[in-house]
Amino acid sequence: MTNFGHYPSFDVMKEQDEWDDHTQSIVASRLKPQGNFQFLTHAEAGMLNRICSILVSDQTPEVMNFVLGHIDQTLHKSPGEGQRKTGVPQAPELIREGLKAIDQGTRERYSASFLELDNVRQTQYLKDISESKAEPHPIWSRIPQEPLFQKLMSLTVEAYCSHPKVWSEIGYAGPAYPRGYVRTELGQVDPWEAKREP
Amino acid sequence: MMQRKYANEEVDVVIVGAGAAGGVLAKELSEAGMSVVVLEAGPFRDPQKDFASDELSMNDLGWQDTRIVDGKDPLTMGHNNSGRGIGGGTVHFTAVFLRFQDADFKARTIDGVAEDWPIGYEDLEPYYSRIEKEIAVSGPKHFPWGNYHGPYPYPEREPLSPNAYLFMNGCDKLGIRSSVAPLAILSAPFEGRPPCINRGFCNQGCMPDAKFSTLIVHIPKAIKAGAEVLADCMVTQVLMGKDGRVRGVSFVHEGSTYEQKAKVVILSAYVVETPRLLLNSANAQFPNGLANSSGWVGKGIMVHSSQDVYAKFNDEIRLYKGTPVLATTQDFYRSDPNNNFVRGYTLHAHGARPVGFAQGISKSQGGPVWGERLRETLLNYNYYGRVTMVGEVLPHEDNRVTLTDELDSHGLPRAKVTFSYGDNDTKLIDHAVGKMSSILEAAGGKVEFVIPDTAHMMGGCRMGDDAEASVVNSYGQTHDIPNLFICDASIFVTSGAGNPTNTVMSLALRTADYIKEKAKKLELTSSG
Repeated sequence: MTNFGHYPSFDVMKEQDEWDDHTQSIVASRLKPQGNFQFLTHAEAGMLNRICSILVSDQTPEVMNFVLGHIDQTLHKSPGEGQRKTGVPQAPELIREGLKAIDQGTRERYSASFLELDNVRQTQYLKDISESKAEPHPIWSRIPQEPLFQKLMSLTVEAYCSHPKVWSEIGYAGPAYPRGYVRTELGQVDPWEAKREP
Repeated sequence: MMQRKYANEEVDVVIVGAGAAGGVLAKELSEAGMSVVVLEAGPFRDPQKDFASDELSMNDLGWQDTRIVDGKDPLTMGHNNSGRGIGGGTVHFTAVFLRFQDADFKARTIDGVAEDWPIGYEDLEPYYSRIEKEIAVSGPKHFPWGNYHGPYPYPEREPLSPNAYLFMNGCDKLGIRSSVAPLAILSAPFEGRPPCINRGFCNQGCMPDAKFSTLIVHIPKAIKAGAEVLADCMVTQVLMGKDGRVRGVSFVHEGSTYEQKAKVVILSAYVVETPRLLLNSANAQFPNGLANSSGWVGKGIMVHSSQDVYAKFNDEIRLYKGTPVLATTQDFYRSDPNNNFVRGYTLHAHGARPVGFAQGISKSQGGPVWGERLRETLLNYNYYGRVTMVGEVLPHEDNRVTLTDELDSHGLPRAKVTFSYGDNDTKLIDHAVGKMSSILEAAGGKVEFVIPDTAHMMGGCRMGDDAEASVVNSYGQTHDIPNLFICDASIFVTSGAGNPTNTVMSLALRTADYIKEKAKKLELTSSG
């Protein structure tokens, strides 16, 4: 992955030996390929891959692979959603039926499946969903659009921002046990933190 | 089957929930020689093995089981405002350890809103002092606001975080007083625990044990004094005797149901689960739920408004560094006749890690932020500073916990949590957002995002002298059932405008003293 941020040569994983074992094993496991989805079908995973990439404007395959694995695991087996608004289907149903509606919706509106659309139209269709404006109406009558968008966003963002490649890119030095952070005045950095490169 | 100590015995006290209040009660009552069983729905974690420096994997420190949310401003639950596991919310709280002020107990008298508490600041003052000393709260030599100005048992934290320095600079330029926050985080060694290393993961569980939690402080002391603390035990019902007194609880562990008999039952399961348990325990004698003759069980729940303001700076701030909250101001805490609202708020400099940062930004006021804009913001993550508020929210009868038709994995009706802000609440928020923005701008930032958010929960089983309009007396004893107590933030009458944990724990100490006194006089007898 090309690092596009202010810290092109920073790699947070170079510091992993300084982390406690539990943190190290959790973070390192995110770099392993996730396969054999337990909830998502092949077709659903394909659509989600595209949707999630648009939501965070990043197509890096290994990062998206982790995001999909996280979504699959959460929908397969989750201790709960924390909260769900009255009238909104449970997450597995919301996502499954939501993906169906996205595909059918674009077929009716553009005579093409979601994956066949160009990036501009895909993005526009997701924007419509985020504003509860996606059409045609009959296909969306049973799926609450904003909650669908919010659920997709929340599942995508929590996984995306947990991938060490993204940590490196944004200059997040991350785990700091047992060593902690020592230089914490404004403008100070510890020697192992990301340094801005001009 | 579990190894049990008190399986077939009637114990003096059973406590439901091992959080801020439950931990204190367990320690106090077992050290007084009473036989105590603590039942906690979540696991018993080992900070060294089970915590990690990671946001995603530590989400399960919150209560993730689904609640149905409703109202004009449906709440975000889970990690946002609850704990699950021994230690409860203290495992992942920011450890800001503020006292309420005298005015917090008298909203009706001072401002003609809400209700007065049946107790005042002076009733809690000795308990605040006791609990702060017991956990060696660190804080400034002089705290500028409220009824207590320090000194705190331990010196204030030093150094702070970049975001805290930024906040204090902004406050200085505007003539707003700021202070290092009083924290339940060590600034020097105490009872074998080390001082904080500014790792920054208070909300994911403290691995070095520098931050207090009842998991590492009170529960081990309770166990040492003989308490039986059982994890992964979900209490499903409070059991009634024929004489109108409670006789114990039933609970589920790994799919099997057990009973625990007790002379006294204390519910410390917080603002959603405590009312839910009372409502789910309804029977022929109490068809509307236990202790609910007033109809107030589940009503009058409150949160703190907790809007976040993010500003972008020309230089790096690095919000991930250091304890999340290290600097604070309470200059806007009390009612001000110049405002178009009553009551007030606390402002904190508040750090953020990438998941929290991006989740917040994506829910920004004015429409979701995603795609290219989110990505660009993330690439500039290190250039953002943040201030957050803890705003008082007035109680309203319609903000409440009720039961739904949907069942959880135990076959129990799920809780429905209904919440809408009132007019005073939104005016207060607008004022606070303005102040937070001006502080960030005075420090050299440009405000980019305002995030609607809430923190903490209070109310739902409020205390009062009038048994027709409240659930418990000031000791948490229910008006209807003398050997059933409630001791957690659900007994708050108003929310206050600061972090509630110090008040929860002080109330727990006071309830413990009351129960010990009653026990001495043999006034607490079991169901006949």
